[in-house]
Amino acid sequence: MRIVVIGHGMVGSRFAQDAAARVPGAHVTVLGREDTAPYNRVLLSSVVAGKADADAIALVSPDADAVDVRQGVSAVEIDRARRLVTASDGSVHRYDRLVLATGSAARVPQIQHVANPDGLVPGVSVLKDLADAQGILAALPKARRAVVLGAGVLGLEVATGLAARGLAVTLVHHADRLMERQLGSSASQVAEGSLGRLGMTVVTQASVTRVVERRGRISAVELSNGAEILTDLLVMCAGTIPETALARRAGLPCERGVVVGTDLASPADPHVFAIGDCAQPPEGGTGLVAQGWDQAQRLVDAWAGAPIAPRDDAAGTDRTNVVRVKASGLEVVTMGLSGKFEHGDRLLRAVRISDPAVGRFVEVVIHEGRLVGATVVGDKATATDLQALYTRGLPVPSDPAHLIVRPIPGAAPASRNAADMADADTVCQCNTVSKGRITDAIADGCESVEDVSRATRACTGCGDCKSLVKEMLVTAASDRKVPAMAGTGEA
Amino acid sequence: MTTPQQDAVAPGPLPGATAATHCPYCALQCAQTLTATPGERLPVAVTGREFPTNRGGLCQKGWTSAEVLRASDRITTPLIRTADGGFREAGWDEALDLVAGRVRELQAESGNDAVAVFGGGGLTNEKAYALGKFARLALGTRLIDYNGRFCMSSAAAASNRALGMDRGLAFPLADLGGADAVLVLGSNMGVTMPPFVQHLAGVRERGGLVVVDPRETVTAKLTRDGAGVHLAAVPGSDMVVLLALLHIVLAEGLQDDAYLADRVEGLDDVRRSVAQWWPERAEAATGVPADTLREVARLLAAASPSRGGRGAYILTGRGVEQMAQGTDCVNAAINLALALGLIGREGSGYGPVTGQGNGQGGREHGQKSDQLPGYRMITDPAARAHVASVWGVDPEVIPGPGVPAVQLLSSLGTADGPRALLVHGSNVVVSAPNATAVEERLRALDLLVVCDLVPSETALLADVVLPVTQWAEEDGTMTNLEGRIIRRRAAVAAPGEARSELWILRELARRLGCDATFSEDAETMFDEMARASAGGKADYSGVTYARLDAGEELFWPCPAPAPGESAHLGTPRPFLESFPTPSGRARMIAVAHRGPADDVRPGMATYLVTGRVLQHYQSGAQTRRVKELAQAQPEAFVEMHPLLAERYGLTEGAVAFLATARGEAMARVRLTTDIRTDTVFMPFHWAGAGSANRLTNDVTDPTSSMPEFKVTAVAIRAAHQLRPASELEGAAR
Repeated sequence: MRIVVIGHGMVGSRFAQDAAARVPGAHVTVLGREDTAPYNRVLLSSVVAGKADADAIALVSPDADAVDVRQGVSAVEIDRARRLVTASDGSVHRYDRLVLATGSAARVPQIQHVANPDGLVPGVSVLKDLADAQGILAALPKARRAVVLGAGVLGLEVATGLAARGLAVTLVHHADRLMERQLGSSASQVAEGSLGRLGMTVVTQASVTRVVERRGRISAVELSNGAEILTDLLVMCAGTIPETALARRAGLPCERGVVVGTDLASPADPHVFAIGDCAQPPEGGTGLVAQGWDQAQRLVDAWAGAPIAPRDDAAGTDRTNVVRVKASGLEVVTMGLSGKFEHGDRLLRAVRISDPAVGRFVEVVIHEGRLVGATVVGDKATATDLQALYTRGLPVPSDPAHLIVRPIPGAAPASRNAADMADADTVCQCNTVSKGRITDAIADGCESVEDVSRATRACTGCGDCKSLVKEMLVTAASDRKVPAMAGTGEA
Repeated sequence: MTTPQQDAVAPGPLPGATAATHCPYCALQCAQTLTATPGERLPVAVTGREFPTNRGGLCQKGWTSAEVLRASDRITTPLIRTADGGFREAGWDEALDLVAGRVRELQAESGNDAVAVFGGGGLTNEKAYALGKFARLALGTRLIDYNGRFCMSSAAAASNRALGMDRGLAFPLADLGGADAVLVLGSNMGVTMPPFVQHLAGVRERGGLVVVDPRETVTAKLTRDGAGVHLAAVPGSDMVVLLALLHIVLAEGLQDDAYLADRVEGLDDVRRSVAQWWPERAEAATGVPADTLREVARLLAAASPSRGGRGAYILTGRGVEQMAQGTDCVNAAINLALALGLIGREGSGYGPVTGQGNGQGGREHGQKSDQLPGYRMITDPAARAHVASVWGVDPEVIPGPGVPAVQLLSSLGTADGPRALLVHGSNVVVSAPNATAVEERLRALDLLVVCDLVPSETALLADVVLPVTQWAEEDGTMTNLEGRIIRRRAAVAAPGEARSELWILRELARRLGCDATFSEDAETMFDEMARASAGGKADYSGVTYARLDAGEELFWPCPAPAPGESAHLGTPRPFLESFPTPSGRARMIAVAHRGPADDVRPGMATYLVTGRVLQHYQSGAQTRRVKELAQAQPEAFVEMHPLLAERYGLTEGAVAFLATARGEAMARVRLTTDIRTDTVFMPFHWAGAGSANRLTNDVTDPTSSMPEFKVTAVAIRAAHQLRPASELEGAAR
């Protein structure tokens, strides 16, 4: 079976490798526009933030023996009638199955003077590929101020990353709250508070209307609210647009993305499939790599004849839909239903704790005993637990409040103290020796740890209880002294 | 069974006579002094003995070990199955003649492979060696494997492919004391081998102990009060923890570049493979916060020699190895250790914490289906030629490789499978995964012969039970978790007619017409084993009883000196100069996380993990017979978080019914907040309704054939709610 994959990004490259390894008789060709090995696009913001080396984000390339990878070669035309793909280098590739994994492009908003005939004005950038990240890195040494446009996940990661590098950052966002697709107003306010503590300026309900250029570089931006902000950098994180141009030209149904069914095939052509950011499955594209990887795996499973794991549980929940902001000092995680969601005809329980003064907001949404949504701001531990629960679709406690209020840490005493122990409590775990037995041994004349060890075997395993036994010996010795001293006093 | 009595042949020891030996149980092999106490209820008194590993310490199992010498149901005479299903006592000649006769009949009808052998990691080196030789020469069968397959095979496979050698800890245990960081995954040594904990004192003082475990075990609690960090990872996700730690090390440039350039190959592939495990993604997969992963990666890096630290160690245990991806998981651990420049440097390293008493030596001398003595591959013509020359046979006589344990057990009594099985030092009915199926297979055999001390659950199924000696009654050697060869010394005679397996194998071999050497004298067998191991990876040829008895500390490899050279002093720390790989470099191997084979899902929505309690050892065949231990831990139990228990209407002490895709079990509930709310824990030391291994998964690792004991999806309900498992989750809502 000839499989042609268009796109050599995170999803296309993984699909190609897995298909070559697992689909019997597969002959896989990949056309990749970028002239590099695939890399982890999710970490571009970490590269900008200085938390990851640019050379540490390269991903596994398909084995050259197993997959025919054409780097720096884009697909220019799909001939569905003859099942041929023509590439930019003039090569033509026949397919039995075609997989579109073309990803998405950064959206460049309508901004006056954002570009000149050579492209974006120097200092203005999107962050979609490695070249963008390297461009921003190159501009950093001379930059003191930055404007980040868009407070979605990427915008927040870039803004906090640049702030951590010491730049004065202004975050400009069109909606009335941050991450408006994921966060409600209360959660957003808590998150805004965190940004304030990081020294960032947040301007909501505003857009950038004009770029001011000076000596061939950006020097300021004008906002829709009339403000002008001096800046050395403008990073536009205003969302992405699925790359559908090729599919549209081939007459495949496209809306926001390339329309596919639950089988990831185009309704117009059973030989054409779409996965990752370019696809629009029935449940909608989330723009998350987890969804794309899940789609890649499901497609390979189907072609390899493996049993297909159910994607959604009964509640129709996409278990890959976890949105996690990677930022120091800003803890935001959402999953499934969050922000302003529709209840529909489902009986949903939503339980929340809102604690803005300490920068904490947690909401969990329960449907039929399972977590179908959550919003967590400013509570790392709870966010971690909820993700493990959500991604696995595990049942929740009868009272969901237990999910958002954690037991007081260190419910067991932080340091053990013999005086606080009952006679039946075990002092020596290794030899199951109770406090009572040691007390008896001391009463019978044991005067040292060694004596107690000989009499009871306590402290002869790991030796960790020596301090407890010592404490008991000291206490017993002082107890013996007390009556004697009292007697002296009376005399 | 006869009343225990002193063997009339061997004179009893004098009162007060002592023997310096080691504990019968785990791989720490704590040193003990046995003092003969003729006339007392127990024949010896046990005390701890100063030794570099246990430093005089013993746990409760060790202190009470003499009880097993006089277990009330100790088998003291051969037993033969009777027509009414019971046993009758028999003399040795009758029992051995019966076994040999049946073996000959079955092999005549169905070929040599009609008879299989199952060994154990508790057997001395001499017995393990003799058993492998017996299978290949006296039985001529290729079918031999052992319970170490359930224990060390993943760590062994990973070490061999990455480092070129599997020496367990490639350093003396005491080296741990000087480290700034020790990362422990899947081991609860605070419970399984308590005296080990003494060696963690230094790293705890420096705040560098990191324990990865879904439970806050005794070992995990050692990280409290600033002594370190406990990562309560989701069961089955330990490998992601390791991949993410390596991701962070490389992303932040914390690796040891000079060491990597000089001593390691394969970094590029591994770098790319871990690029997909950024900390935030790992957080959802592991339940460990991304920032905690970063802290731990930096802690390990700061402890590594290239960044000026005192050193760091990574240790793995069964918790991460007993997985269908166990070998890859250990390779992920080794990859991390290599990136940090830890292996082959004094004061740093990687090591698996071996479990069974002779888990190390037991895997080196020919009990494994694919190996010959000296850790040689049975398919290697040179290895076959060498061993054949020591055995005095033509290499053609030695059969080819057999099949690993789970496959062997599941083939018993099937149309093409073995018709007879000889079991030595293993209680497979309790200790093998999917135990109910194992019992069915044993019942389907024409002949089951079990050598045992006591009527273990496996012995009770046998056609012939042969009583054997145990620890204090025999001489031999063991190889502990450090790769140190130590002496086991007899202090008392065995009761009744119990005999060493060395004698039994000699007698059986003679009856089967095999003229190869089988001696009941341990030293004779050791010397032959040492010659057979010469030139192999696990080379013991320079080791003698005389050197060990003189107090020399010998770690293998310890080859015999060439003529004119002085004696080899052993190898406490292999890899210091180079790795025994073709290139001399260690190999980083790109591995992928696949997750549990039987993962949680609606209807089976909780993870089951299994493990040990301090008072019991393995299948409990020995320790359940020690009153003090049985009283402390009398029965099986299932540990769970109160939030989980509440969902199923379970309270402390209630009986929970547990079901997996393979079997069912019942156990009393113990509530604790020391466990994740999505996980329950069961110890596996008990048989019957409380047998954890009726639930465990017998799917195996593709490389090591290790079964996935450590994680499976389980359905839970209160035992009084009699509803089918499929409705369980619905009922719990």
